Amino acid sequence: MTDSTERWGKSVCVPGDEDREQERGSGGGLAGSMADVGIYMDNAATSFPKPEAVIEAMADFMRNVGASSGRGAYRKALEADKIVFRARQAVARLLGVADVSRVVFTANATESLNLAIKGLLSPGDHVVTTSMEHNAVWRPLKAVERTRGVTISQAPCAHDGTLDPADMEALLRPNTRLIVMTHASNVTGTVMPVAEAAAIARARGIPLLVDCAQTAGVHPIDIERLGLDLVAFTGHKGLMGPTGMGGLYIRGGLDLVPLKDGGTGGDSMLEHQPEWLPDRFEAGTLNVCGIAGLGAGVRFVLEEGVERIREKEAGLLRRLLDGLSEIPGLEVYGPRDPARQVAVVSLNVRGVPAEEVASRLDREYGIMVRAGLHCAPCAHRTIGTIQRGAVRISLGYFNTEGDVDRCVEALAGIARAAG
Amino acid sequence: MPFLEDIDIAFIEPCVTDPGRVRLYAEPSRDLAEVLPYLNAVINHATYNKDGPSLTFMKEFRLITIYPRRITMSKVQNTTDAWQVLDWLKDLINDTYDRRGSITPVHGVRWRPTALQIYGWLPRTNCKACGEPTCLAFAVKLLLGERTPQECEPLFFPEHASLRRAFFEIVAAFGYPAPPGT
Repeated sequence: MTDSTERWGKSVCVPGDEDREQERGSGGGLAGSMADVGIYMDNAATSFPKPEAVIEAMADFMRNVGASSGRGAYRKALEADKIVFRARQAVARLLGVADVSRVVFTANATESLNLAIKGLLSPGDHVVTTSMEHNAVWRPLKAVERTRGVTISQAPCAHDGTLDPADMEALLRPNTRLIVMTHASNVTGTVMPVAEAAAIARARGIPLLVDCAQTAGVHPIDIERLGLDLVAFTGHKGLMGPTGMGGLYIRGGLDLVPLKDGGTGGDSMLEHQPEWLPDRFEAGTLNVCGIAGLGAGVRFVLEEGVERIREKEAGLLRRLLDGLSEIPGLEVYGPRDPARQVAVVSLNVRGVPAEEVASRLDREYGIMVRAGLHCAPCAHRTIGTIQRGAVRISLGYFNTEGDVDRCVEALAGIARAAG
Repeated sequence: MPFLEDIDIAFIEPCVTDPGRVRLYAEPSRDLAEVLPYLNAVINHATYNKDGPSLTFMKEFRLITIYPRRITMSKVQNTTDAWQVLDWLKDLINDTYDRRGSITPVHGVRWRPTALQIYGWLPRTNCKACGEPTCLAFAVKLLLGERTPQECEPLFFPEHASLRRAFFEIVAAFGYPAPPGT
């Protein structure tokens, strides 16, 4: 306990780590103790800690199963198949998808977005996106602009990251082939009007691709009720799984050109990728260990309930925003309203570079946050921080009120010193 | 606790007739013999062999046979498809078992019209609107449970009202209810 207390910094009131762990509550057991690592507030990058069931599922696969899925008739291979199916089924259930085969596994949301964008757009096509996108959307779009002559229009968002759907609709053209937008910004947490965008897209018969990297698992998503066409998600954030796992939902009747071709298992006589999903987009041996972890993570989220997770994170966010509003010398970006954002807040301390703030939070207070542009220069341009970047605090389901209070106190200390 | 807790795939290989598809057998976690006559009543287009016993039917393009301790499936798209259909089948078996008090079990082979007989009760326009090349092909698919009467557009034209009534009297024998107003 002494070691970790020292890590929090002498100026901050630190209750016993045992109390903090009790307050954290796991609802299912946590892998690793937060007391060992400090206060983790970089959940928008990767969630931590993970439910114990995630580690157990991965270890069980590595120890006791070990086989490739879809590649054998022996029982261990069939067991691997079943692990993959049950994970796919859990994701489909969480995201509101009836046909499990429409959920395709990838390495991460970036691969999913690349598959959707590069698999759909042809020379001469036009695409509409927003000014709050992550590079996982922006760079594939710039790539097809350069290689295929695709044209891009960016709907302007307000300084807090909010989008007026009418501004998006005004950009549509007869050759608009795709609308791409994030569900929630990874910089400001701003939740985008996806339902309105879906209605606009449907009325024009244009597919809508939604980047749910920041929302899957922490904000309700009902794909079929909203009528979404393509939904990219990652497994290692709100879905509580390991890194290296993600996926893409592809609506029935919408075909994409696969990003990769290769072996898919039982249909080896075919000379091309099979037409049916998910095999069409899953060439090569799957990351079954990662899928086992993702499945356990999603089942954890289903058991806890997305509404409950969102409620807890919204409460922590409210506390954080209230605390930050009391600190002179802070610039806080985004809606500053838990009803309109996920638990991500970006800010700057006047007179102190973002990187220095993040570094001091870590070294002096044991609080882990991320500084810089967060792979989203579009978003930082929109909120006016493209030159200086920002400090991003992203809360998770396992953070506590105590964590939030210590973060606020730490920032108050840094702001006071910069005075 | 449900009647049937699990069905596990025990063997899978490429289809003999269609290398793009797979066939497999799966093992239910308990003996299904007692529920087969009820399933025979519930699955309209199934063929029941009481001496086996076994129950065979089509689920869209897939051929499924249920034995007491084994379930075989062929022409399945892939393992995802297989698991999804096995989950559907498990739910159907459990639902049928739960409702067995209100279902009259069918122990015999039900009378089934032949494809040619069904063809005789269709408008025989060969319009292809259903997606089949001929009305006879449609009749065959109907028998296999791969098509529904509602997919025959001309059958619902006003001039075919009497033909339609006769048609639904016949197909009711293998479980298709007549739509309202027929």
